[in-house]
Amino acid sequence: MIKKTFKIPDMTCTNCAMKLESIEDTLEGVKEINASYHKLQMTVEYDEARLTDEQIIAAVKKKGYQALPT
Amino acid sequence: MSRNRKPSIDPVILIALGILLLTIAVVMIVLQSNTDVVSITNNAGTASQLVVAFITGLTTGGLSCLAVQGGLLASSLAHQIEQDYIEQAAHAERKKRSGKKNQTAVHSSSAFPIFLFLMAKIVAYTLLGALLGLLGSYLTLSPATRAVLMIVIGVFMLGNALRMFNVHPIFRYFSIEPPKFITRYIRRTAKGTDTVTPLFLGALTVFIPCGVTQAMMAAALGTSSMVMGAALMLAFTLGTSPVFFIVAYLTTELGSRLEKFFMRFVAAMVLLLGLVTINGGLNVLGSPLSFQNLTRNLLPSNRESVSAAQTAQSSLTEGDIVLYVQNQGYFPQTISAPAGKAFTLNLITNKTYSCARDFVIPALDYYELLPDTGTVQVNVPAQTKGDRLFFTCSMGMYTGQIVFE
Repeated sequence: MIKKTFKIPDMTCTNCAMKLESIEDTLEGVKEINASYHKLQMTVEYDEARLTDEQIIAAVKKKGYQALPT
Repeated sequence: MSRNRKPSIDPVILIALGILLLTIAVVMIVLQSNTDVVSITNNAGTASQLVVAFITGLTTGGLSCLAVQGGLLASSLAHQIEQDYIEQAAHAERKKRSGKKNQTAVHSSSAFPIFLFLMAKIVAYTLLGALLGLLGSYLTLSPATRAVLMIVIGVFMLGNALRMFNVHPIFRYFSIEPPKFITRYIRRTAKGTDTVTPLFLGALTVFIPCGVTQAMMAAALGTSSMVMGAALMLAFTLGTSPVFFIVAYLTTELGSRLEKFFMRFVAAMVLLLGLVTINGGLNVLGSPLSFQNLTRNLLPSNRESVSAAQTAQSSLTEGDIVLYVQNQGYFPQTISAPAGKAFTLNLITNKTYSCARDFVIPALDYYELLPDTGTVQVNVPAQTKGDRLFFTCSMGMYTGQIVFE
C-alpha cells in the first residue's frame, strides 16, 4: 500500500471533496481517499500492484475534476 | 415495446408544494393579526416572532442556506442524476440500435430527492430548535453577547461570500467540511438507494448551518422555551424551503451555466446579508460606527424626526420624554434631551408586535421586552453635553439616539 497526494485545482465546494471520496467505493485497489476542499487536494491510499496513477486520474476525471500528481 | 421509465415528478407537484408553503405563509400572517388567539408561550407577540422567522427564511435564509448547504443537497442529488445519466445513455444506445427517432428523452427527476432533503431538514431543525430552546431556558444571552454573536456570524457570511466569488484561497476555510466519518457513513449506508441519501443529508444540514440559520438558532436559544424554540426553527426552515427548492431544482434541471449565475447571485446576497448582520451587531453594541449611527445626522428624514421629538415632548410633564415604539421602529429616531440632568424616558407601545419591542440601550446596559401595548419608564442618568445615547431593538434593525444638548 502506498499513499499519494493529488492536487485537484477545480474543486469549488466541500461537496466536491465528498464526490471525490466516493471514488473509493468503486475503484478496485483503493483503501482510502481523503479529499480536502480547503487544501484543494486528495490523498489516496492504494495498492500499487492493482492500481496505477493513470487509473486514479481517469476516475477523478470521470467525476468532473482534474487530478495532478504532486 | 414499453420502456421501463423512472417516474418523474409532475410539475403539478411542484405547484402544489408552492401553494402549500404559500398557504402556511398566509396562515401565519393571519395569525399575526390575531395574536390574542395564538399563545404558544406566555410571551406576547409569539406569532409575530414566528412570522418574522418565516419571512426571514423566505427572503434571505433560503439563499444563504443554499450557499452553505448546497453541497450536501447536490450530493443527495448525485445518485439520482447518476442514475438518470445511465438511463439516458442506455436510452440513446437503444435508440441508435433501433433507428427510431420518435422516442421521448428521459428527464432528470430531481424534485423528489430535493423534497425529501428539505423534509428531513425541516424535521432536524425543528428538533434542534427544541433542544436550543431547552438549553436557552438554562442560559440567558445578554444583548452584548448577542451582538458579538451577530458580528461573528456576519464575518462568517462575508467570508463565505468572498469564497464564492473566489477572491482568495484563504476564504475556502470559511466553508465547513462535514466530518469524514459522517460523509463516509452516509455514503456506505445509503449506497444504492434513492430515498435514504437525501433524507440523511437533509438531516445532516444541522451540522453546517448558514449564517442566517445560525442567527435564528441564537434566537431559538433566546426564546428559553422548548416549544417556542422548535416553532421558531420550524417557521424559519419552512420559509427557507421554497427558495431552496426552486433554486436547487432549476440549478439541477437547467445546467451548470445557470448554476454559475445563481451562485454569483447567492454570493452577492450573502455578502449583503453579512454586512447587514455585522451592522446589526454594531447597533446592538451601541457602536457609533454602524451605518445608521454614522449617517443619522446626514439624512433629511432624521432631521425631521427632531421636530417630532419636540412635538412629543411638549405634551408631557416637565422632565419626561416620550419614545413611541411602533411596528416600523422608533419615533422619533432622534430625541433631544437636556445635558447634565437625569430624566425619565417613557416607552409607549400600542399593538406593537415587531422586534422593536425588544428595547436595548447598550450604553446603559438596559434591555427590556416591552409589553405589546403599554408604557414602560426608563430612568436615564445625567449625561454631558454632546453625548449621544444610542438605542436599538435587540436585533439591531430599528435604531435611534438621544442627543444631549
